[in-house]
Amino acid sequence: MTAAKIIINEIKGYHRFLQAMIVLVGLGVLASAVRFIFGLGATTHLNDTYPWGLWISFDVVTAVPLAAGAFTIGVVAHVFHIKKLEPLVRPAIITGFLGYSLVCIGLLLDLGQPQRGWHTLVYWNLHSPMFEVSMCVMAYTTVLTLEFLHPVCERFGWHVPLRLLRNLEVPFAVLAASISSLHQSSLGTFFLIAVDKLHNLWYNPLLPLLFILSAIFTGLSIIIFEATLVHRYLRQPDETELLQTLTKIIPWFLGLYLVVKLYALAYLSHGPRFDRPGLTALFLLEMVGGVVVPMVIFSLKRTRTDSSLQLRAATLVLAGLILNRFNVSMFGMIQKNQEIYFPSVIESLVTLGIIAAHILFFVLISKYFPVFEHHPETVDYAIPDRFHKIEGSEEGDKTVKA
Amino acid sequence: MNAGGSYENTKAFLIDTTKCTGCRGCQVACKQWNQLEGEKTHFFSGEGYQNPPQMSEYTFTRVKFKDYKKNGQNEFAFYKEMCMHCNEPACASVCPVGALKKTAEGPVVYEADKCIGCRFCMMACPFGVPKYEWSKAFPLVRKCTGCYSRIKNGLHPACATACPTAITYGTRAEMIKEAENRIKNRPQRYYPKIYGQHEAGGTGVLYLTHQPLDELGFKPVTSRPLPSYTWQALRMVPGIFLTVGGSLSALSWFTHRKERIKREEEMLGKGRSPEAEAHEDREERP
Ligand code: SF4
Ligand code: SF4
Ligand code: SF4
Repeated sequence: MTAAKIIINEIKGYHRFLQAMIVLVGLGVLASAVRFIFGLGATTHLNDTYPWGLWISFDVVTAVPLAAGAFTIGVVAHVFHIKKLEPLVRPAIITGFLGYSLVCIGLLLDLGQPQRGWHTLVYWNLHSPMFEVSMCVMAYTTVLTLEFLHPVCERFGWHVPLRLLRNLEVPFAVLAASISSLHQSSLGTFFLIAVDKLHNLWYNPLLPLLFILSAIFTGLSIIIFEATLVHRYLRQPDETELLQTLTKIIPWFLGLYLVVKLYALAYLSHGPRFDRPGLTALFLLEMVGGVVVPMVIFSLKRTRTDSSLQLRAATLVLAGLILNRFNVSMFGMIQKNQEIYFPSVIESLVTLGIIAAHILFFVLISKYFPVFEHHPETVDYAIPDRFHKIEGSEEGDKTVKA
Repeated sequence: MNAGGSYENTKAFLIDTTKCTGCRGCQVACKQWNQLEGEKTHFFSGEGYQNPPQMSEYTFTRVKFKDYKKNGQNEFAFYKEMCMHCNEPACASVCPVGALKKTAEGPVVYEADKCIGCRFCMMACPFGVPKYEWSKAFPLVRKCTGCYSRIKNGLHPACATACPTAITYGTRAEMIKEAENRIKNRPQRYYPKIYGQHEAGGTGVLYLTHQPLDELGFKPVTSRPLPSYTWQALRMVPGIFLTVGGSLSALSWFTHRKERIKREEEMLGKGRSPEAEAHEDREERP
């Protein structure tokens, strides 16, 4: 059998859902090709009134906080050293790695001159939030790639780099958190320049703080979301007990966010706030549905042990976050009597393709690499050790065939 | 950027809309000088009589027509729309690669070779000036250049040269003085405010009008320079990086320390293995 045949046979064995994802990714790739051949103007609904559309609002501004799971759980598990949460770290890193790689792709697709992307590395402008974010995203994608090498080395039994990576785990967690707090907040700084453009419901000088706070509770929620779904659909162990710790942390951050948000709205915003019913509705939906309700659910005693309640609350948080980022980067920017922007077919296909690629690669990676079978209890993290064969690696080899 | 300095000696346009006849000589001169393609347009495609309906990749400046009623009579007001050449331009501050720059002479210029096409400048500009080459596969930004190449050679901008009545060109201090004089000398002719004197922290284009500014469609813009809004957050970046990094490092050192000590004690209890000794050697080094 040739390699191609092996691959085709392998794919034939996949679940229908995965095959659908492959089709979506394919369509996305095709749509991106069309975008490059015909140009942004012809293939998107962007124009001089809407220089930014779906790709910036979702693929960048929303996707970055959605990928925040890796750094938040890294801090909880490695820095606060809550060892039992270790099994949650690796899936989160995979999600983060995929998320950030796809953010880079989304960003490149949106640039008018993608072949010049490297210019940010050469021509610095320290006053530009976009410069700051692109540097951070590049740095963090590198960190995530290194962290992702972990299961890869395990899979192929490369012991020397593996030993090195294990020792770097804690420094990486710290680095990830510092870089993340910078660019997650700087995404909010983007919109500080939109004085008199972004509606007062969202425009306030604390926007960067609100962005990092919401990234933290979103990162924790996405871990719950992911672990629960993975348990249900990929037949992985039930982690409800571990997630319990997270459900105790999240309401604090939701509460803090709420306080800062209300304070900013009351004292730091200027001008009318509730003058446009459409925007007010969006705002209330985001705040009540995405912050207050999940905060209440997460604080319930029952949620500690009830995985479907956890899932529901986490889903609400995620939906609220997505709405918030769209409110800030798109809806809140629409001026009175301005035409309304809708993404074009090509724009939508590309974004769908990116989401599908995320799900697809996540499932595939966990199929072929030791993601959930990671047993950190057996490993000595605290003290640097000699370069020798690592216990548990044979096990890693075995699980590959599963 | 002219770090916090004064912009008195940068060059500025004084556009007296009460003297503008709507001839659109500036529009044509700008197209000619910058070799901009013509646009196929038709009347009433935009607001009122103005044509083309808005600035675009082909149109760096355009005369806006505003009809209004005065003593029951239909009247026109005209004003020339162009890049304001802000003292502290928002477009330049947000550009990740610094493709836009405020020159010492005044114009805010664009280096096309640097631009990566992120369109942040278009988002940031409070006057909606930078436009994009939507017609191209690899588009760049286009906007009024302030005729930088002409100024460098001692000429005045093409539009200011072509204008028979309304545009005066000179240093910003002179232009403000001139505008103030006109307002003082003919108070019934002028609305007592110079648009651009304080808008967005001061701009290189100043307008005099007869009617109130908002009636003419001038956007109210904050008088604080826009880059300061983002800088107040961005300047904290190094501090945040060090604080978060430092405190988390310290924290992890403590949380891991307990474990390390425990393990060492265990080992002592068990008697030393050669491996444990190797660890300690390493640990004892300062
Ligand atoms: S008007 Fe807009 S494009 Fe012109 S200098 Fe100011 S911010 Fe830049
Ligand atoms: S589009 Fe070009 S000029 Fe404008 S901000 Fe981006 S890189 Fe700078
Ligand atoms: S200054 Fe030059 S580029 Fe700008 S509007 Fe006038 S002629 Fe056009």
